[in-house]
Amino acid sequence: MTHVWFISESDLRALAGDLLAAGAEVVAPVAVDACQSPSAIASSACLRPGAAAVDIEYRLLRDAAELDLGRGLPVLSLKQLFLPEHEALCRWQQRGVEVTVEEVPTAFAPRVVLAAKPCDSAALAIVDKVMNWDYADELWNGRRAATTILNLACPVIDDSCFCTAVGAAPDDVKGADGLLTPVEGGYVLEVTTEKGRTLAEAHMARLSTAADALVAGSDVHRAAARARAAANLEIDAASVRDWIDTHFEDPLLAALGVRCNGCGACTSVCPTCHCFDIVDEEEGIGRGTRRRCWDTCQAPTFTLHASGHNPRDDQHVRYRQRINHKFAIYPLKFGEVLCTGCGRCTRVCHAGQDLVEILQAIDIAARRPDATAAAVAGAEPAGS
Amino acid sequence: MNELRELAGKLLSDGTVRVVIGWEDARRGARPVFITDPAGADRLIFDTRCVHNLVTYLNPRRDNVAALGKMGLVVKGCDAKAVAGLLREAQLTRDDVVLIGVRCGGVLEENELLAALPLTPENVAPRCYGCDNREPRLVDYLLGESQPEPPRPVTTIAERVAALDEQPLEERWAFWTEQFGKCVRCYACRQVCPLCVCERCVADKTRPQWIEASPHPRGNLSWNITRALHLAGRCVDCGECERFCPVGIPLTLVNRKLQQIVGERYGYTVSDDPETPAPIGDYRLDDKQEFIK
Repeated sequence: MTHVWFISESDLRALAGDLLAAGAEVVAPVAVDACQSPSAIASSACLRPGAAAVDIEYRLLRDAAELDLGRGLPVLSLKQLFLPEHEALCRWQQRGVEVTVEEVPTAFAPRVVLAAKPCDSAALAIVDKVMNWDYADELWNGRRAATTILNLACPVIDDSCFCTAVGAAPDDVKGADGLLTPVEGGYVLEVTTEKGRTLAEAHMARLSTAADALVAGSDVHRAAARARAAANLEIDAASVRDWIDTHFEDPLLAALGVRCNGCGACTSVCPTCHCFDIVDEEEGIGRGTRRRCWDTCQAPTFTLHASGHNPRDDQHVRYRQRINHKFAIYPLKFGEVLCTGCGRCTRVCHAGQDLVEILQAIDIAARRPDATAAAVAGAEPAGS
Repeated sequence: MNELRELAGKLLSDGTVRVVIGWEDARRGARPVFITDPAGADRLIFDTRCVHNLVTYLNPRRDNVAALGKMGLVVKGCDAKAVAGLLREAQLTRDDVVLIGVRCGGVLEENELLAALPLTPENVAPRCYGCDNREPRLVDYLLGESQPEPPRPVTTIAERVAALDEQPLEERWAFWTEQFGKCVRCYACRQVCPLCVCERCVADKTRPQWIEASPHPRGNLSWNITRALHLAGRCVDCGECERFCPVGIPLTLVNRKLQQIVGERYGYTVSDDPETPAPIGDYRLDDKQEFIK
């Protein structure tokens, strides 16, 4: 049910303005200068003359002018819009023997995400599977149902992007309702879902017919971006999956995590990492809140048993678990790689863990059964 | 650099150590490397990008690193102070590790670069200013040429701490509430800290739960204050906690303020001399105790 239109940049901003005027929540990439904050003293970078520390972040738009179409990668993915860092699941109050439980709402106000990264929307569709496997997660599903997402085709950020290697693409509409592709004078907008069509039809005044030449131009743009991503990394994800699944004790997997400090930054910024912990927090006598908050498989307590035994008792096995879950366990269970190649884990790692290099190493091992860890330059930390 | 590579190769060849941990050049810049083969010693580098405090790999809980065998560790002056901290607290014996000291004239604040840069007031890691340990003493070897003092950064950490101290209490409270409000409780600061070596961190205890796990302001404040107090008189100012913090909490300001307080109250300066006891493990009759009422 694909429908295609043209929208100029000014009309795209006007569309965002129309949505805001109608009272909708609009989330989009916004350039945030940390040094504009009254707390600029917090960053030494801000104290240099003329300093600016600009980050791209998905934020609630206050004004259509804030919409950043520069196509940089937001620091955090779209994940926290659907699985917040922490949220209440219920509240309880106890009076004597009587306990009352207050549920939290699972219906959400309509929300539109504009100019989302294709790797971020694709991650939502992948995580949908685990969120609806043995238990349908009402909070995740409620937010997914209330949200319409229009992607903006990505130019490919840098040499740590590898979406095409794991089945995603810089022009993916997976997990989204439409895609904007830059062309001369504006964007080609194609919508692929009912939600996307409803959004487009409500703003027909901003849209016009896309000339064939423009659509052809957008196809060229999209193909060029895919080629750029493919140049960064090409692997056979199925071979990688099968190799990991059958090489649990392989020295290569054990060696991958030796420099990792287990800080968990990779899991925080990852668009597909979705593990959470549930905690009960007392807020006075006899009342409290049950919350869930992000958890990370890189923390020792993630698998600590009540007995004191920890099956993942050191960092290299916790790192192996992360690789195993993303590239073998999840694909075997749900048919999809739990990674969209956004590269955030690699960029955020201050210890130099590099997923591009690691996947390349596993791919080489998978293609060449005789290859040992020693043959895999870079991933073998011991240099031997 | 040749000196470092030759020494590492020799220590590995003659069996003095089984692994040398230093830095290498990788796809995205300098990073820690574990060399076990003498032929791999040529991968070692040392320049202004080598900010990582590799002493975190000496943590006695890191069995996978320990399993590599006796370790040769490349240390800067600040890193050597962390080794002294582990020795003071009986987490390590001196014979467990061969320390390869490098003379250091400061490191870059933004280190993820493909080539090293000379230091300037704009790019130097502010914590390096006034360094008192450019030539680590607690080492088995000391390599490299004598280094100049690191440049004075545009704004020093001491100046920033002083600016905060001058603020009225409410403003200072608002500042730290905002900063700790950003915390996502990933505990990256703890994981990378060479001195956070507890078998079980108080933040991970659930019976009772001393520190609430959710990243809301109340739990965040508990965690950040606890972390700070547990490092008082122990922190070596290597800055790794702040560098690893994914949300940019200025932990260096907390650490420096703690250093100042410990200095004023106990006359103690963190050094790489493991024989000087730290206030946390030392009782003196003249310790100030006017706060006990």
